[in-house]
Amino acid sequence: MKIPEYSTIRLLLDEGIGLLELNAPPSNAMNMEFFKEFASVLELVRCRQEFRALIISGHGRHYSSGADVPVLLKEVFEKAETDDYGRLKVVPDFLSNNYVSFLMLESFSIPVISAIRGVCLGSALELALFSHFRLCGEEAVFGLPEASFNLVPGLGGIYKLCCISGQALALERVLKGSTFTSEDALRYRIVDKVVPKKVLMPTAYAFAREVMQDFRVEKRNLYVKKYLT
Amino acid sequence: METINKISWEIRNDIGIITLDNPPENYLVQPEFMPLETLKKWTSYDYLKGIMICGAGKHFSGGGKLENLFRMIRDKENINESMDKGKTVLEHLENLDIPVVAAIEGICFGGGLEVALASHIRVCSENALFAFPEINQGIIPGLGGTVRSFGRIGFPKAMKLIMSGDMINAEDAQEMNLVDFIVSKHKVFDFSFNFLQKLTRDRPLTVINAVMKAMKNARSLSIEEAMREETRMFCELALAEAKRRNGSREIQK
Repeated sequence: MKIPEYSTIRLLLDEGIGLLELNAPPSNAMNMEFFKEFASVLELVRCRQEFRALIISGHGRHYSSGADVPVLLKEVFEKAETDDYGRLKVVPDFLSNNYVSFLMLESFSIPVISAIRGVCLGSALELALFSHFRLCGEEAVFGLPEASFNLVPGLGGIYKLCCISGQALALERVLKGSTFTSEDALRYRIVDKVVPKKVLMPTAYAFAREVMQDFRVEKRNLYVKKYLT
Repeated sequence: METINKISWEIRNDIGIITLDNPPENYLVQPEFMPLETLKKWTSYDYLKGIMICGAGKHFSGGGKLENLFRMIRDKENINESMDKGKTVLEHLENLDIPVVAAIEGICFGGGLEVALASHIRVCSENALFAFPEINQGIIPGLGGTVRSFGRIGFPKAMKLIMSGDMINAEDAQEMNLVDFIVSKHKVFDFSFNFLQKLTRDRPLTVINAVMKAMKNARSLSIEEAMREETRMFCELALAEAKRRNGSREIQK
């Protein structure tokens, strides 16, 4: 199967397991181009039977530092439709499309596994939260820093954190905006397993091979118990 | 300081403090907790960044007094209406767009536990005790405690708590996610107050309100609707922030 080339993503397929790598060195920031390409990659993976599992990871040392705030602000400023008083009327398509992509990712009938090392911040953590499973390497750095820029997570981060870790933790993490460790993430149930960095990808592949045999999303916790504890 | 039905209110450093002030057990005088109008008035100051609920003295609250409840039933007072009012009061509390922390020392029973469950964060002392004792009198929690406990700790544990009437200690309560933090005796008030201040002091109200609304949506909307709203709130804040950084909204589009 011929896989197209992308400028911000590397997509590979090996024995039924797709690898989607965020690829914008050094920290794989999620720019406008990334979100566009991400949507088309999802469409491709969804339509092609050859993909029986999908691993999402970052090229190099990091998962991703999330969206680039100044760029994002500029885009919102230019594209948001406002009324005569400068109040927001219509959310620009490029933002709505992003959350639609995340919802689509979550609705995949094949298992989606985020393999996280290095930084995983802001929108990148939100992306990870919409994967069915999250594995991470030791010394990964997590956070939703949006509040420190007078913003809030806007791609379902608050929603997901509430469901996964509870209201108190969601409030604390989102309002403080500070980073937290792999061990914290495990304690908050944000990741399912922490492994040494070196074995992160082999662990993700081994797990994908097991769970793609008979994946059903409602059995998520059973798979975690069976293969990740 | 204002007081109504042995519940008092004061504001300290942009944090509103509701004290259940009927020592020693801080029983709720009204089964419906407190009048909605009063709660609305107290929480309407637009500079408030958080609310704390605590008990006067050694305990949080023993809940509603059963004698009162049975007297109301005997006197054919409209208990149903009273409970409905109480539910509205706790809904109002839960849906406030600033965080509410329950600071729990000692006992937290029945209606007291229902008030705590409607809060967003629960802090308790290591000697705290929790229970829904209603079942011992052949009744069940009446202020939404059944529904909220299912949501917070899951069906099986909530069933056990409600059906057994058994007391559980702080450690077990944390284990089942009924409380979020345990701190040492007598430290609950300071810890909760400082925690709330630390969370909110560097954040503008617009951000705090958006986070609280998003959490409310997570409780009440479908994931699709909740995400649409979350993106919309993000966009509103981003627009404001972009204008702030540009120094003026007259920047060329």
